Amino acid sequence: MPPDSEPVPTGAAPPDETFRLHPLTPIALGGRILGLLVVFTAFGLAQAKTAGGGGGPSVPVLAFFGALAVVVVVRGLITVGFTSYHLSGGELRIDSGMLQRQSKRIRLDRVQSVDVLEPLAARVLGLAEIKVTTAGSERAAVRLRFLARPVAQALRADMLGRSTGAGQGEAEAPERVLLAVPHARLIGAVLLEMASWRLVFLLIGPVLTVVGRQNGHRTTTGIGVAVFLWFAIVIGHAVWQRISSMWSFTVSDSPDGLRVRHGLLSTTRQTVPPGRVQAILIHQPCLWRPFGWVQVRMNVAGYGNLDSSKRSTLIPVTDRAFAEALVGWLLGGFDLRRIPVTPPPRRARLRSPLWWRAQLAGSDDRFFVARHGLLSRTTDVVPHQRTQSLRLTAGPLERALGLASFHLDSTRGPVRTRVPNRDATEARAMLDEQVRRARTARRLAPTVRTPAPRSA
Amino acid sequence: MDGPFAPPVGQAWVRVSPKLARMRRAMLLGLVALPVMVLVSVLAVGSPTAAAVCGAVGTVVVVWGWFAVGRNVRSWGYAERADDLLVTHGATFRTLTVVPYGRMQLVDVKAGPVERAFGLVNVRLHTAAATTDAKVCGLTPPDAETLRDRLTSLGEAHAAGL
Repeated sequence: MPPDSEPVPTGAAPPDETFRLHPLTPIALGGRILGLLVVFTAFGLAQAKTAGGGGGPSVPVLAFFGALAVVVVVRGLITVGFTSYHLSGGELRIDSGMLQRQSKRIRLDRVQSVDVLEPLAARVLGLAEIKVTTAGSERAAVRLRFLARPVAQALRADMLGRSTGAGQGEAEAPERVLLAVPHARLIGAVLLEMASWRLVFLLIGPVLTVVGRQNGHRTTTGIGVAVFLWFAIVIGHAVWQRISSMWSFTVSDSPDGLRVRHGLLSTTRQTVPPGRVQAILIHQPCLWRPFGWVQVRMNVAGYGNLDSSKRSTLIPVTDRAFAEALVGWLLGGFDLRRIPVTPPPRRARLRSPLWWRAQLAGSDDRFFVARHGLLSRTTDVVPHQRTQSLRLTAGPLERALGLASFHLDSTRGPVRTRVPNRDATEARAMLDEQVRRARTARRLAPTVRTPAPRSA
Repeated sequence: MDGPFAPPVGQAWVRVSPKLARMRRAMLLGLVALPVMVLVSVLAVGSPTAAAVCGAVGTVVVVWGWFAVGRNVRSWGYAERADDLLVTHGATFRTLTVVPYGRMQLVDVKAGPVERAFGLVNVRLHTAAATTDAKVCGLTPPDAETLRDRLTSLGEAHAAGL
C-alpha cells in the first residue's frame, strides 16, 4: 500500500497569487465593540448637552471611550497591513505579525471544507470571511477576515479548484440546487423541535404568581412574573437563533463539492469537497413524526464542537424519503433500507426497559448503520473506510447480563455511534467483523483523491 | 467473563509493569492514608468516637483501594497485530479499543513527576476522533520507546489519510 504521496501535478501549475485583507476589516471586526463605544459616546454627548454638563458623563470618560475606539481601529489596521496571503501551487501561505513575523502553510489537498461567512457587520460593509478547515482541531482552522465579497468568492473557488486538483478553478463552478427549505416549514419545524420537556420551565413562573396572589404575597408574585419573562426570553432567543441561522437553507451540488448556504442576518456558505463527509445522522424529533420530517447532520473533520450545531447541519428539515435519497447519493449510492439491522437480545430490557427494541444495528460491506430512540428517532450511518477506532465496553450490570456495548469512533461532530446491549459474543463478533471490513475498505479506497472530472 | 474482551486469536495480552501498582499504592498511601492519619490524630484529642469512626472508614477505603489498584493494574494490556493495536483496561468497567495503524495521527509519550520517580511512562495514541481512548499506562521507558518506534513506523506504512 503506497504511503500518502505528494499531490500529483495536474498539467500546468496555476499561477501564484497574493491577497491582502480589506482595509475596512477593523470596522467589521470590532463591529459590536465599536458600535457600543459610538453609542456610549453619542449618548453621553447628548446627555451632556441637555443637562448642561450636569448629569451626563464627564469629558475624561468620553475621551476614554473615544480613545478606545481609535485603539481598536488602529490595532485592526496594523493587523491588516502586516498580513498577507499567498496562493502558490497547492499551498496557502499566511504571513502575519508586525514584531513577531509568523508564517503558516496549509496544503490545499488536506483542506476539509471552505466556508464563506458574512457576519452582520461585515455584510453591511460588503465584506466576507473565508474559513478554511483542515483536519485537526478547531484551532487549526484558518480565518481570512475580511475580504471584499467578490474577492472572497473567487478565492473560495480558486482554493477548492486547487484542492481537488481541478486546476485553478477561477470561475465559480456551476451548481445545481438540490433542496431549498420553505420558510414556513422551517419555522414550524423549529417550533416543534423546541417544544420539549423544557417548556415545563415556562410553568414555574405562572405557578409562583398564582401562589403569591392567593396568599397575598407580593414578592412571590413579582418573582413569578420575572421568572416567566426570563424563561420566555431564553426560549425565544434560542428559537430565533435557530430560525435565523437556518433561514433560506439551500443545498446544492457543484463539481467542487456540496454547497450549503443559510442565514438571515449573518450568512454562511459552506463547501464540503466530495468524500470529506465522515459520518451522517438522520434525526427525527418526536413531534415531527406526524409530518414525516427529518433533519440530517454530518461529521466533517475539523468542524469542531464550538459552532457545530450550525455548521454540521446538512438539512434542517425535509421529508424522510428525500433525506435518505440524498444521504445515499452523497455516500456513493446506497439504499439505507436495504441494510439489515438487528435488535439486542431480550434480556437487554433489564437495562433499557422500553427502548431496547429501538436499539438496532447492522452493516453491509460498505456502511455501518445504527438506529436508536423510541420517540425521537436517530439513524447513524458510517462508511467503513471512515471509521477511526472501535471500542467495546461493559460495565458491571452489562457483564452480569452477559451484554456489551460496541462503539464506533468518528471525527468530532454530532454523530457518535454507539450500539448498546449486545450479546457479549455478538458484540465481539461485530467488533472483529467491523475491523476486517474497515481494513478492506481502506485498502480499496484511493489514498490520493483523484482529480474531479471537468466538463470539456 | 473474559469472552468479548479476550486477546486476539493466538496472542496473549502484553501486560504492563507491576511497578504501576506500586506507584498507585504509594499514591493511595500518600494522598489518602496520610491525611486520614493526620485527621485521626487531630480528632483523637477532642472526641475519640469521631476519631474511631474516621479511622475505620479510612482503613476500609485504603484496604479496598489497595486491592482495587491490583485488580485494575492486572487488567491493563495491549496486543499488536499486523494492522492494528488492541488495548484493554478496566476491571469493573471493561474496555477494549482497536486502533488501526493507518488511523494514527500521533503517538504521545508522557511521564509525570511521580511516574518518572517510579520509572514509568504512558503511551497514548491519537486518531482524528476525539473519543478514541487508546492509552497504555505504566510501561517501562525501554518498552515505551520500542512501542512508540514500532507504532510510528507502522503508522507511516499504513497511512490512509482521513
